[in-house]
Amino acid sequence: MMRRFVLTALTVLSATPVLADDYATRLTAVAYDGAMRANVQGDGHVSATLDGRKLTVKGDFSALPSAATGARLYSGAGIGVPGPALLDLELTGQTDGAFQGSFTLTATQLAALKRGHVYVQINSQKAPEGNLWGWLLPAHPFAGPNVPVEGHGFIPQLDVPGNWTEK
Amino acid sequence: MRALATLIVTAAVTAGFWAVNGAAQTSEGPFTQAQAQAGRTAYAANCGGCHQQNLSGSGDQVPLAGTTFMASWGRRPVKEFYDDIRANMPYGRAGSLDAVTYQNITAFILSANGAKPGTKAFDGTSTARISAIATGQVPADIANPPQRPNAESAAGRAPAMKLGHTLVGNIKEYRPVTEEMLVHPDPNDWLIYRGNYQAWSHSGLSQINDGNVEQLQLKWSWAMNEGGQNSTGPTVHDGIMFLANTSNTVQALDAVTGELLWENRLGPVATRAYSALRSLAVFEDKVYINATDARLYALDAKTGKAVWQTDIAPPGKGFNETGGVIVAHGKVIVGLTLCRGQMPHCYISAYDARTGKRAWAFTTIADKGTPGGDTWGDVPNDMRAGGETWIAGTYDPELNITYWGTAQAKPWMQSSRRSGTAATLYANSTLALDVDTGKLKWYFSHAPGETFDLDEVFERVLIDHGAQKTLMTIGKAGILWKLDRTNGKFLDARQTVFQNVYDGINKKTGELSFRPDVLKQKTNTWISACPSAAGGHDWPPTSYDQKHDLMLIPLDQSCNLMLGHDVAQHTGVVNPEGEERVFFMPGTDGNMGRLAAYRTADMKPVWSFQQRSPFLTGVLSTDGNVAFVGDYDRVFRAVQTTTGKTLWTVRLPTTVQGNPVSFSVKGKQYIAITTGLGGGSPFSKPSGMLGEVHNPDHGHALYVFALPEKLN
Repeated sequence: MMRRFVLTALTVLSATPVLADDYATRLTAVAYDGAMRANVQGDGHVSATLDGRKLTVKGDFSALPSAATGARLYSGAGIGVPGPALLDLELTGQTDGAFQGSFTLTATQLAALKRGHVYVQINSQKAPEGNLWGWLLPAHPFAGPNVPVEGHGFIPQLDVPGNWTEK
Repeated sequence: MRALATLIVTAAVTAGFWAVNGAAQTSEGPFTQAQAQAGRTAYAANCGGCHQQNLSGSGDQVPLAGTTFMASWGRRPVKEFYDDIRANMPYGRAGSLDAVTYQNITAFILSANGAKPGTKAFDGTSTARISAIATGQVPADIANPPQRPNAESAAGRAPAMKLGHTLVGNIKEYRPVTEEMLVHPDPNDWLIYRGNYQAWSHSGLSQINDGNVEQLQLKWSWAMNEGGQNSTGPTVHDGIMFLANTSNTVQALDAVTGELLWENRLGPVATRAYSALRSLAVFEDKVYINATDARLYALDAKTGKAVWQTDIAPPGKGFNETGGVIVAHGKVIVGLTLCRGQMPHCYISAYDARTGKRAWAFTTIADKGTPGGDTWGDVPNDMRAGGETWIAGTYDPELNITYWGTAQAKPWMQSSRRSGTAATLYANSTLALDVDTGKLKWYFSHAPGETFDLDEVFERVLIDHGAQKTLMTIGKAGILWKLDRTNGKFLDARQTVFQNVYDGINKKTGELSFRPDVLKQKTNTWISACPSAAGGHDWPPTSYDQKHDLMLIPLDQSCNLMLGHDVAQHTGVVNPEGEERVFFMPGTDGNMGRLAAYRTADMKPVWSFQQRSPFLTGVLSTDGNVAFVGDYDRVFRAVQTTTGKTLWTVRLPTTVQGNPVSFSVKGKQYIAITTGLGGGSPFSKPSGMLGEVHNPDHGHALYVFALPEKLN
């Protein structure tokens, strides 16, 4: 009986993607329509490391249509779901720049991060409600355009535990 | 983000107020009468073909006047509307007009919504709120414009052309297509739009294979009609190719030389960059086409002459058909779109292949008092809309059942249509119909209460695993379904792209559970959905390679915020009534395109790759272990079926859009593919999101490739 339990536990563990302590995302335009598009251009990258409850975030951005006015962590009800601001990041630069921050997360914030619900958003003068955003997800390699990988590759809800239930 | 939330709430309250209260006190508009007049001419030339000359909209082309327009734009400044149309319009050639023309069109649209011209010309900078200057009440001369047949050349409108039987054919030796040929198609032919009744989109030919495909060469090409939405695929029989062009033009071509054998321009001429002719069908000595005006034709395969024709739906009411046609057991079976709440609802109908006489019709929307009628709550019958069938069905000859998918309910969002999470049958379902009677054998509701324009209408692929007869399909949510096609029982499901609409599934029944905040949605409030209305998976169909048990699936990766309008529950035309704001899908690094292979026995993913541009063709797999697919960025590609490795590419003049096919004549294998423009979300989303991709706004054509001749 004990042996069966151990085997089952090992099977479950091996079937569950290992949750990396490293997070990353690419910053792309926030949700927009045609009227907003010109003001939400740009690109950026974020990396983050979680050590216990300490989260360290750093990143950069470029080619914003107007000067950045703020960078923050936000959390919503799911991956890809906007929500309220959590924490301010230290911002430098104008249309090109960088940001960083280090925080001790609450249990709620930690849970949100581990479920992929936390995202970085850069606001700018012409897009004060959001210019770029990107969800902090477990760091994963991108093989490159048109380079096949075995299996499904990285699909957030399948590789971030707790976002899909089978009843 | 709190600021955005505040803005959204404020906007929602404003929009809600507007929807309830209608016209408001207005002040002078920030444009002149001369601008509005000039804008009317420019609108007719560039916008009216899609949005209609009275600005009432059509299908996915939203109304630009009246309550729907005011609900979308009333709370926003004039400048935003101007920026929007300047960035996105005319459809397919965004930004192609000069600034003055965009300003004039803006002035006209404002005046069409009751705004009064003033003394100051609009220069693109006015921040006046639209609801402060416009009422949404359309002046009579705009609501009922005079007929101006020569004044229009809107985006997507085809150039003027002579209609009629422009080249009478004289094909002397034509072998009639028998039912046996359709059940067991010769791999040298491509008789059915997806290659066989099971929709495998697979060729049994192997002359072109993973060892030589890099030698492919262009053999011939053929310019196709411009205008409309070109996303078709040829049908080939005994070396004769039948090709559906936009503007409901059918041609027969010599499949080896590209010589035109006959042509019949049935019309009507395309007026907008929508409404594809996705497929033709052949049976006995006839070619069948369901024209975009919901009219079904049978043409003589040897001459192109119309043998019979019949209306699929009442003419002149805007009904439309884009899904293509199949012939099964002597019946021509077609779907219907753009029913929009008017009676009759959408239906699937069948016609005698020899006479055109209607045999049966199955209505895809359940009215009160009929089976399934209680799944719409209290929604009046004439507000029950959607359930369109814009992809032709498949057929199991042994069971004598035809399988069809249906599109979503309308309005898009639960909160707008007031149906809650009820299933809204038979929207977003698989329907199994008896081919002889049209009787419903079973149905499976994939997405009860669906709320983000995530259709489950696409191809139903029929695959047997030993004695088990399955049906597989994948919709915009990107969930790959496996059903028992004898009884509709749920067997399995897999997620193939990121989706956040559903947070769970009952593995016994296939019932999905919505993300909790989706269930709490309210009108006039933005709510997030991944994938966007472009899918997951959209109309570019899958292929199935039986030898390797691999289904190759073109996937699309984008998300949106969606906002549903308040919709009055009264008789009238039902529109989607939703607004979208798009964004790149989390976890994709900005890659919109994904191609993936799944083993169907156990539904396990075998390989996948991503790229910046989405795929806009179906996949064609072959016995040569090579599969073909094309994309938005003009690349037509061959990959190794078993690994996904790219083996060959060619860059074509414009977006590769349509369905690749393969055929053989005199021992030589050919691959054919179309380039094309137009269509809904799969084409329009990347045109806005991939700013670095520049494709010409014309170039509809057919390209035929083969291996080089051997040097002697």
